[in-house]
Amino acid sequence: MSEMQMALTNTAGITSVASFWVFAASNGFKNRKDLLVKIGSGALTLAFASLTAAIVMRGIDAQRFPLANLYESLLWFAWATMGAYLVLAKAYGVRQLGWLASLTALLMFLYGSWLPQSQHDIQPLVPALVSYWRWIHVPPLIISYALFFLGGLSGFIQLYQAGRIRSLIAAIVTVTLALLAVVLGTFTAIDTAWLQILFAGASLIGSVISFKLLGYVDKTRGDARLAEIYDDVSYRCIAIGMPALTFGIITGGLWANHAWGTYWSWDPKESMALVTWLSYAAYIHLRVHRECSAEKLALVSIVGLLLTLMTYLGFNSLGLGGLHSYGKFK
Amino acid sequence: MNTESEKFYQPTAKTSIKNVLASVKLTIFLMSMTALTVLIGAWCPQESASGKEKVVEQFGPDAAAVLTQLGITDIYHSPFFLSLIAMLTVNMIACSFMRVFPRVKLLQKPLPFLAGKEIGKLPVNTSVVVAKNDQSVLAAVALKLASKGFKVSTNQEKLLAEYGKFGRLAATVTHIGLLTLLVGVTITSWTGFSGFQPVLLNSHLDFHESEHSKLWVGKLPDWTVRVDATRREDHPTGEAKQWFSKLAVIDSKGKEITSQEISVNNPLSYKGVDIYQSSWGLDHIILKFNGNERRLDLRPMGKLYAAFLPLDQGTMMLFSVRADGTIKVFAKRPDWEGPRLLTEIKKGVAAKLGPVNIELVKIMPVTGLQYKCDPGLPVTYVAFAFIIVGVMMAAIPHRHVWVSLETAATTKVIYFGGRSVKAKVGFERLIKELEKQIGNEFGLPAPALPTDQSNPVIVPTLDSRSAGPKKVFPVQERKEQVLAGTALGASPNEAQGDS
Repeated sequence: MSEMQMALTNTAGITSVASFWVFAASNGFKNRKDLLVKIGSGALTLAFASLTAAIVMRGIDAQRFPLANLYESLLWFAWATMGAYLVLAKAYGVRQLGWLASLTALLMFLYGSWLPQSQHDIQPLVPALVSYWRWIHVPPLIISYALFFLGGLSGFIQLYQAGRIRSLIAAIVTVTLALLAVVLGTFTAIDTAWLQILFAGASLIGSVISFKLLGYVDKTRGDARLAEIYDDVSYRCIAIGMPALTFGIITGGLWANHAWGTYWSWDPKESMALVTWLSYAAYIHLRVHRECSAEKLALVSIVGLLLTLMTYLGFNSLGLGGLHSYGKFK
Repeated sequence: MNTESEKFYQPTAKTSIKNVLASVKLTIFLMSMTALTVLIGAWCPQESASGKEKVVEQFGPDAAAVLTQLGITDIYHSPFFLSLIAMLTVNMIACSFMRVFPRVKLLQKPLPFLAGKEIGKLPVNTSVVVAKNDQSVLAAVALKLASKGFKVSTNQEKLLAEYGKFGRLAATVTHIGLLTLLVGVTITSWTGFSGFQPVLLNSHLDFHESEHSKLWVGKLPDWTVRVDATRREDHPTGEAKQWFSKLAVIDSKGKEITSQEISVNNPLSYKGVDIYQSSWGLDHIILKFNGNERRLDLRPMGKLYAAFLPLDQGTMMLFSVRADGTIKVFAKRPDWEGPRLLTEIKKGVAAKLGPVNIELVKIMPVTGLQYKCDPGLPVTYVAFAFIIVGVMMAAIPHRHVWVSLETAATTKVIYFGGRSVKAKVGFERLIKELEKQIGNEFGLPAPALPTDQSNPVIVPTLDSRSAGPKKVFPVQERKEQVLAGTALGASPNEAQGDS
């Protein structure tokens, strides 16, 4: 990794940390809220610009499209999360999403920085990745994952603004435990069977509890108008993420057919992507046909976030094998 | 006891079954069950992909036996999963023909123009008292909406504008894609075949071991493929960069028809069969020990390949082979800490180990060739295109704006309002912009909007237009239906979107 590339990546990481704290502080200083939100957005814009330059620089250094291992995909994920937030902030004027978007980006930077040096170094491509299909197939998937994350995060804020505090707490604990399973699976030697149980158990039990707790409404908190806006933001993220995911899955099929002679082989990663696709297809059907309330849909978007986490990071860290093990390093 | 009218609305058993088959609730249930089943399939190694040994290795023999008995180790071929797919297919066909496809016709029917009173009931609405008593204010609104991509139609002092109408066809296009995909997959399943074969240099690939479905009516080729050369290209660091194989197609009479060098991502296609470079390795080496030939099978060991030759109890000779053909000979005894390098063998140069002369005769590479014949592929690709376009269309927000210029005492009031299924905030901003512009150019202080909640007017909801193959009313009649609270012939249930 060149010094310039490292400096740009570090700038992006540090400014996303600064952005998170400034956004978080804006909630505590009501009279300076507007100023702090502007500073937070500015820091996030700087982080986005630095990361864009870092990714371009990595591509120039590597003499190839810079999306070939887990570290590079994390950079793309952070980039897409920040970029999508900046677009949403401009379109909707949403503020609370800022600190969650910067938190997601900085978590990805931290996760990436803890990976072994071999992931940071520019490595030659394995034969299967030497194809123009790599830059057609992978970026839409990473962008869809980032949008689904933002959709789920909007769901958190929506639950808060709708006064569903107990359900929100259950959902936060669920996602935290799922993240913990992924982190432990990546950086420790704990048996992946236990971590699979942690991820699946927390997701299943936590989701059921969150749905059950939706009935408790704290009317002293939240703002119905903001809840409606975050509902719209969540739907928008999913409505745009869904074509990106579909495009990514289908182009993956075309690549697989071109390289291996079959466009679908029930590989675990393919299967997980299909599960995620089905869950968001169900979300869209529920939404279009108004089969359930906005708060339930917010929880469905959080379940979608869990499935996206499983598809993107859980797949390798929790010990599922298959043809898509390029992100694996253990 | 039912009255005559109640009897009239009683659904028949046939209608009831059709409604259940086409219900969205069934779709959600089947999607969830399919997702859960696929999730289990992703978690548990599948025998068809990884082999039974992988299942035993991961779960142990007892648990593996239970999983096999439950059908989880081959879940994608289990009756349960196939039934789910069949039910999802029936549900999708029923939904497509009963609700999704008829929407195309409904979209061609115009929506009614609305008066100020009805506009006041829309989710987003406002009004401006205008000074000018002419049509220029309506023209200004029309111009503004047209500049934002709306399709505008006017009727005297009323205006209706629509944006993203084609977005409403997203479900139709996606369902056409999914049904086409089913056709493509069925064609392939009934006539296609596939397989994998490791082929040694100068040997032939044939198709007799290919896999195909039970309901198969296809034909296997009578030609074969000969591997004339195969090689590996490395990065400077020693990792494989690319694998190549020069293949020749040989007909049933032994005549060479064509030849091509393939590599990963660059297959050979001949008469509907595609042959892919899937893997590469060294299979065995042939050495001469004091003139006697001996074949030693190779195993991959990281970047190298290795062959083992036991000599006496506990002593082993180890031949480490690089892909470029260099062989290092090691020996290992139990009392040694590690293997010791004895000598190096190169082609054409004999190595002497005590009284034994060792010569390299041949290093035999093996190329992994994947092949498939997929006659349904063109249909499948068309399906992919439909699905991608369909889901992209689904992201387009569908918006309506109604405007009415009406006389109020001595002035005129322009009412405007509308709705948007997606991106509501942007839509509200648009209406505010419109209000501001009209207010600046033509406005006087605004009056309160008519909000007579005691006699609610139900205006057509977006989903009420997707209410199945119902009777479609002419515009005037549809407006009467709107004012009567039964917009567009939809039942109250349907007006809530439960279609």
